Amino acid sequence: MSTAYKPVSNSMLIDLKAYNTFSQMKEGLENKLTLMADLPIGSKVNVDIGKKILSNKQLRELEDTLLDYGMHLDQLMSGKLNEASNPQGQEEKAPIIEDIKHYDNTALICRHIRSGQKKFVPGNAVILGDINPGAELIAGGNILVMGSLRGLAHAGVFGDEGAIITAYRLNPTQLRIATHITRPPDGERHEVDYPELARIREGRVVIEKLKI
Amino acid sequence: MKSRVIVITSGKGGVGKTTTTANLGTALAMMGKKVVMIDTDIGLRNLDVVMGLENRIVFDIVDAVNGHCKLKQALIKDKRFEGLYLLPAAQTKDKSAVSPHQMKNMVNELRKDFDFILVDCPAGIEQGFKNAIAGADKAVVVATPEVSSVRDADRIIGLLEAAGLTQTVLIINRIRSKMVKRGDMMDTGDIIDILAIDLLGVVPEDEAIVVSTNRGEPAVLEKLSRAGAAYRRIARRLNGEDVPIYSLEDPENIMDKFKKILKLAR
Repeated sequence: MSTAYKPVSNSMLIDLKAYNTFSQMKEGLENKLTLMADLPIGSKVNVDIGKKILSNKQLRELEDTLLDYGMHLDQLMSGKLNEASNPQGQEEKAPIIEDIKHYDNTALICRHIRSGQKKFVPGNAVILGDINPGAELIAGGNILVMGSLRGLAHAGVFGDEGAIITAYRLNPTQLRIATHITRPPDGERHEVDYPELARIREGRVVIEKLKI
Repeated sequence: MKSRVIVITSGKGGVGKTTTTANLGTALAMMGKKVVMIDTDIGLRNLDVVMGLENRIVFDIVDAVNGHCKLKQALIKDKRFEGLYLLPAAQTKDKSAVSPHQMKNMVNELRKDFDFILVDCPAGIEQGFKNAIAGADKAVVVATPEVSSVRDADRIIGLLEAAGLTQTVLIINRIRSKMVKRGDMMDTGDIIDILAIDLLGVVPEDEAIVVSTNRGEPAVLEKLSRAGAAYRRIARRLNGEDVPIYSLEDPENIMDKFKKILKLAR
């Protein structure tokens, strides 16, 4: 780990996984805390101790050390605990947050896009409304529809296959990502009542349940 | 009362714009309002036929706009109601004979004399549509429970919004409650879901409409017509009264209920 700490949501994470014994860990913590002197007093920090197990006394000692530097312990993260409390681990959640490409521009469109209307957004597009049949939304980046997507959406129009399309209700007439064009299968349409996500996997557009 | 200019439009043809205009105009006149109905379907005029006033036309909208006659001379007074007038379209010209600007001026002139100005819009989204919506305060979109009609209505609502008409309301016409119950027809909820505008009213399918249209007598004049009753309610809602939306009950169902009541009485 190159940096002494990194932000985890709204509090700091101190990484103590590298230390083998408790005394080394405590010394390492003190070293890191001196480096973090710029953090405001009373900040909450998370401490990651890796796969080690601490006794209650050791835990109190860690907390005391933190308090000496004006920090509060928010959460103690340990590999074993994580595995026990979250059997699937974080792997399943991670891709949605980390895989998505970053675009600088995001346009927020607060209305319905109706039949015959065509919208182009160079970056990401967020629609607070529906995209109705006969309407087209074309974005250079990702598309996020907070209502029903019933029309045509084209994400990653400049050729980015990493772009995704998500919708609160995904019932499009056609979906396009980069150069891939798909439409729902003919015949019976199965309706779902959860948000979905469309992305390219192994050269094909696949639709999956949106999990965040 | 401030006069209101309401354009009745749909995008798709044959969904009942002209029938709706004729019936709402007549129903509002029955309520004692001063109403003028303007037919903007130049080249394919119909409203005069539906109202049974075809043989009284001397001047038309194009004459009035171009100054061949005074606006008052082109207005045809209805044969049944005191406060009801019709401004007929020209049959021998086309839509380009009138411009949106001229239309707006004419409508504003009519505001002085009338409570309601109902503009019957032609099908389509071209010049005729642009003429019809110029000068309107509010739009009523008529749609039938068919995918194509709803699609066109959606397109029209988008164009109305782009033109600055945001107070758009919906009339769902020719709904068949039996088919809706069987799941063979879109119901009002499905349509409102897609169009996302307020519902003004629902008009049931009624064969009496065909008869009344051919005779030139709007259905609202007939006490027993179900569509007529629906239009009378819509007219009251348009006038700002708080009337519940026409509930879909089959005449058979009403008969069943009637029978039940009789049986109970025995």
